[in-house]
Amino acid sequence: MAALRALRWRRRLPGLVPRRLRGTAESPEERPQFPGASAAFSDHLEFIQPQVLAGIPVYRVMDRQGQVLRASEDPQLPKEEVLKLYRTMTLLNTMDRILYESQRQGRISFYMTNYGEEGTHVGSAAALDPNDLVFGQYREAGVLLYRGYPLELFMAQCYGNARDPGKGRQMPVHYGCAERHFVTISSPLATQIPQAVGAAYAIKRADASRAVVCYFGEGAASEGDAHAGFNFAATLECPIVFFCRNNGYAISTPTAEQYRGDGIAARGPGYGLLSIRVDGNDVFAVFNATREARRRAVAENQPFLIEAMTYRIGHHSTSDDSSAYRSVDEVNYWDKQDHPISRLRLFLERRAWWDERQERDWRKSSRKMVLEAFEQAEREPKPPPRLLFSDVYREMPPRLRRQREELERHLETYGEHYPLQHFQK
Amino acid sequence: MAAMAAAGRALRAALPAGLWGRLAPLPGAPRRTAAHFAFQPDPAPREYGQTQKMNLFQSITSALDNALAKDPTAVVFGEDVAFGGVFRCTVGLRDKYGKDRVFNTPLCEQGIVGFGIGIAVTGATAIAEIQFADYIFPAFDQIVNEAAKYRYRSGDLFNCGSLTIRAPWGCVGHGALYHSQSPEAFFAHCPGIKIVIPRSPLQAKGLLLSCIEDKNPCIFFEPKILYRAAVEQVPVEPYNIPLSQAEVLQTGNDVTMVAWGTQVHVIKEVAAMAQEKLGVSCEVIDLRTILPWDTETICKSVAKTGRLLISHEAPLTGGFASEISSTVQEQSNSGLIVVPVFSTVSLLTAW
Repeated sequence: MAALRALRWRRRLPGLVPRRLRGTAESPEERPQFPGASAAFSDHLEFIQPQVLAGIPVYRVMDRQGQVLRASEDPQLPKEEVLKLYRTMTLLNTMDRILYESQRQGRISFYMTNYGEEGTHVGSAAALDPNDLVFGQYREAGVLLYRGYPLELFMAQCYGNARDPGKGRQMPVHYGCAERHFVTISSPLATQIPQAVGAAYAIKRADASRAVVCYFGEGAASEGDAHAGFNFAATLECPIVFFCRNNGYAISTPTAEQYRGDGIAARGPGYGLLSIRVDGNDVFAVFNATREARRRAVAENQPFLIEAMTYRIGHHSTSDDSSAYRSVDEVNYWDKQDHPISRLRLFLERRAWWDERQERDWRKSSRKMVLEAFEQAEREPKPPPRLLFSDVYREMPPRLRRQREELERHLETYGEHYPLQHFQK
Repeated sequence: MAAMAAAGRALRAALPAGLWGRLAPLPGAPRRTAAHFAFQPDPAPREYGQTQKMNLFQSITSALDNALAKDPTAVVFGEDVAFGGVFRCTVGLRDKYGKDRVFNTPLCEQGIVGFGIGIAVTGATAIAEIQFADYIFPAFDQIVNEAAKYRYRSGDLFNCGSLTIRAPWGCVGHGALYHSQSPEAFFAHCPGIKIVIPRSPLQAKGLLLSCIEDKNPCIFFEPKILYRAAVEQVPVEPYNIPLSQAEVLQTGNDVTMVAWGTQVHVIKEVAAMAQEKLGVSCEVIDLRTILPWDTETICKSVAKTGRLLISHEAPLTGGFASEISSTVQEQSNSGLIVVPVFSTVSLLTAW
C-alpha cells in the first residue's frame, strides 16, 4: 500500500520508479503520461467505427398511437397541464396556417411554419422554469406561445407594425420577449449557441437556480459556432441544455448531406457533454429528457445535449417549395402516421380528457382568436420612420442625428412619393 | 545559465579560427529591436490622485484591476489570460479575483466573442481578449452581425453593451503579415460598435475604463509595440477619458495632421521636423476613437489650416483615412487639399 502511494507520488518522475515495479500494470510507464488524454495504451491497430452501437437509440415514452409504453416513464402530468400542451400545439398550428396564407396573399412579407415540430417546442418549454433564459434559432415559436406571449404580439412582429416590441426592424418570425426570457431571434444560424453558453456562465455566477436552453437545427449544428459553444460549455462548466431539432432537412439539404456521423447526439461525448437522442414527436419524451437535463445542468453545473428527432412537414419558409426536393408521399407519411399533435390527441382521448366535441369547439375558438388578432394587426400603422436611427447605439451619435434630420427634411419636401400614410408620425 | 555559457565557450573553441569573428555582429548593422520613433511620455496628470510608473501593458492591467474591483459581475477571459497573458496584460488578476472571474477559454475567437456577447446579454460585464487583432476575423460575424445589431434588432429589448473586446494591434517590427495588422477599417463600416485606439499608457487606462463602462459593445485595440516601450506616470485609481473625442496635441496653422495609436508619435516627430526644416506649423491631432469619430474637431481644425494629412499603418485602399478625407471634403467649403498617407512601415512588410 505504501509502495503504491509512493508510486503515485512518483508518477511525475518515471525515472524514480524502482526497477522491481517497472513493467507492471501499476507503473507509470504502462500508462500514457500525456497531459492531453488519459486512456490506456493499446497494441492493436484499430480505427473506431463512427457508429459503434448502430447509432444512439431514440428515447420515447409513447408509441405512434399515443400509448404509453412503460408506465414508469409516464411523467404523469396533471390533466390541465397536458391540455395546455395540446392547446398550445394546436393554436400554434392554427396561427401558422393563417400567417402562411397571409404571406401568400401579400399581406406579410415572409413566414416560417412549425408544422410537425410542435412537440419539440411545448414538450421542452413545459419542462423549463419560466425564468430560464431561452436562445432560439427561428422555429421555436411554440416555446414563446407556451410562455403566454400574446397572439397580437406575434402578429405585430410579422406585420412589422407600431405595436411590435421589436420596433418593426426585422423580418417576420424574429420574435423576442424580455419579460418571458426569450432572446430576440436573429437570422444568422448558430450564432446564438456560444452566446447561450456565455449567458449560462454569467447566470451560474449570479443565480444558482436558473438554466439556459439553446435551440438550433441539425443544419446549424454544422456551423463553427456550434462547435465553439459545445466546447466552451463543457470546459467552463455551464448550466445549459443544448436542444437540437433534427427535422431531416436544412432547406433542401437532407441529413445525409449535412453530416456522416451518427447525428448530433453522437458529437456530444466528443466534447464531454452528457447527451441523449429523443423522439421529438413524443411530447412526454421531450418533456422527460428536458426536465432531467435541466435539473442536472443546474445541480451539477454541466451542459447537456438533447437531439430531438422530428420531421419538418412544412416548407422551409414561404420562399421555399419543398416539392422540388422531396416527395409528397414522404411528407404525408409524417403528417398522417407520426405527428406530435395526433399522438397527444390519441393519448388524451384514451384518458377521456378530450373528445370530438371539444376538438370542434377548440378549433372554432382558436381560429377565431387568431383571426381577430390578425385583423387587428392588419389595421395598425407601421412605426414612425425616425425609429430607423435609434437603438443603433444606446445614445444617438451626432452623425446619426444628422442623418435623421436629413431624412426628415427630405420627407418634408418629397413625402408624397412615399407611402407615409401607413406609418405613424 | 552556467551550462549555456559553457556551451558557448565550447562552440567557440570548436570553430575554425577566424570563423568566430565572422559570426559576430557587423558594426553599424541595424539592431532588431530599434523602433521607428521615440515615445515621448505625457506629463503626469494631477487631477486623478497618486500616480505610478507604468508601461502600456501595466496600465491595461491597472484598468482591468480597477474594473474587476468596482464591478462584481465583471469577468476577463480569452486565450492564455489566466497565467498573465502573452503580453502580460492580465498578470496577477486571477490570483486576486479568482478563477471564476479571470479564466482561459479554448482557442476559438468566434467562441470568445460569442461567449462574451452572451455574458453581456445577462447584464454582466464581459472583457474579452483576442490574442492578436490579426486573429479577430473568425469573430467578425459575431461582432458585426450580432454584437453591433443586438440592441437595434431587438427594439432595445436586449443588448450586449457591457461587452469590451481587447486586442493587441499594429506593427511591432518583426510581426510580418499575421502579428502586425490594424483592422480598424473593417469594423469602422459597422454601426453599433465603438472602436478605440490609445497612443500611450495614460490614454489607454482612461479609454479602456470608458469602453468597459460604455453601454455599447467596444473594441479596444492596443498598440503592441508600445506595451514595453511606452512608459508614463499613470494614476493608480480609476479615471475616464471620454470616447468619441479627438485630442489636439499641438496647435498649428499650416496643416492638420491626424493619426491614432503608434503613428501619433511618428507624426509628432514629423511635425517637429517640418517646423525645423520647412518652417511649417502643424496641428497634430490624435483621433483616439475611430467609431463614432469626432468629425467636429477634425473639420474645425481643417477649416483653420486648409490642409489635412492623415497617417495610418493599415493599407491605403479603403483605410480609415478615406473616410476622414471624404467627410472633411464634404463638409468643407473652400478648395481643400487633403492628403491621405499610409505609413512607410507598411511598405517594409510588403503590403
